[in-house]
Amino acid sequence: MSWHWFARTVERPDEAIAAAALSSGGYLAAFPSGGPAPRGERKVDARAIDPDGAPALASLVLPPDGVTILFDDPAVGGALRAALAAPWPDVLSTLVVESSRFAGALTAVRDGNRGRLGSDPFARLFPAELVEVGPGLLGSTPAPTGPVIQRYGGGNPWPWDTFD
Amino acid sequence: MRNDLKPGGSFPDLALPDHAGNPRRLSELAGSDPLVLTFYRGWWCPKEQSFFRRLVEFQDEVEVAYTRLVSVSVDPPEVEAAFRAGLGARWTFLSDTERRYVNELDLLETTDTINRPYVPTAFTLYPDMTICSVWNGYWTWGRPSLEELRRDLRTITKAIRPDWEVPRE
Repeated sequence: MSWHWFARTVERPDEAIAAAALSSGGYLAAFPSGGPAPRGERKVDARAIDPDGAPALASLVLPPDGVTILFDDPAVGGALRAALAAPWPDVLSTLVVESSRFAGALTAVRDGNRGRLGSDPFARLFPAELVEVGPGLLGSTPAPTGPVIQRYGGGNPWPWDTFD
Repeated sequence: MRNDLKPGGSFPDLALPDHAGNPRRLSELAGSDPLVLTFYRGWWCPKEQSFFRRLVEFQDEVEVAYTRLVSVSVDPPEVEAAFRAGLGARWTFLSDTERRYVNELDLLETTDTINRPYVPTAFTLYPDMTICSVWNGYWTWGRPSLEELRRDLRTITKAIRPDWEVPRE
């Protein structure tokens, strides 16, 4: 399993495989990839989701539904390079629509250190919101070996790093 | 260098902290991709600085080629992190401050009794850690050129990617 559906919702959705309340209101939720797509049709790296995950502080780059840019746009590549060069957070996944569209990013840390999220490279692409994410949603994405910025298979979010 | 560290041999699965202090295993870092593995003396060596500037130039190709880089030294993680940041490198550095693998791999630079670093050595590895090539970089000209690395990475990629030949309709 390389990805889950991912969405911000007003209410906690019953069909979610994981969901957590946000300090700014509403919820973030993940849905099974084999099920119907939620509004926005965004995909997230499956490792970033854990129904038993601890709370975290997150930088959420989530443009309005339907607002995307090509994943191969040099601006996205530049953000991926900056993410690899910087100290790696506890959770990081780009958000992907269809096979080729960048539609945001989720970056989170568990030590509460806002400074670690202060230079979120994806905030250069769309505005970022700093939010506290409750328990029951976020997993852990280990730092990629580097320096690969290509996605492994069309439709998969980065940093998912295998063709298997 | 240990006798079995030669083309066709299997490289040991090192377990070391990375430049951020996270425990890592080499096999996990290799994943399912070709891997360029370099052992280096330390940030202070001008020959390493020159070689790493070439690797940094190379990473602009590697980043789109499903290929990974890992570098190992006896420097502490925070020193490696600073060296990595100063170079602009975007790959993983592993820290062997306890010199856990220096003797196991027989890669001690015996002529440097102060730093007791690794002998500069480069390997290209298949994803299953089989060694493709080895370069002894004790003398600067023993290190691989980028063209030699490209040639090896083409060989490994051709061997491991079943769709190297474009699939027919």
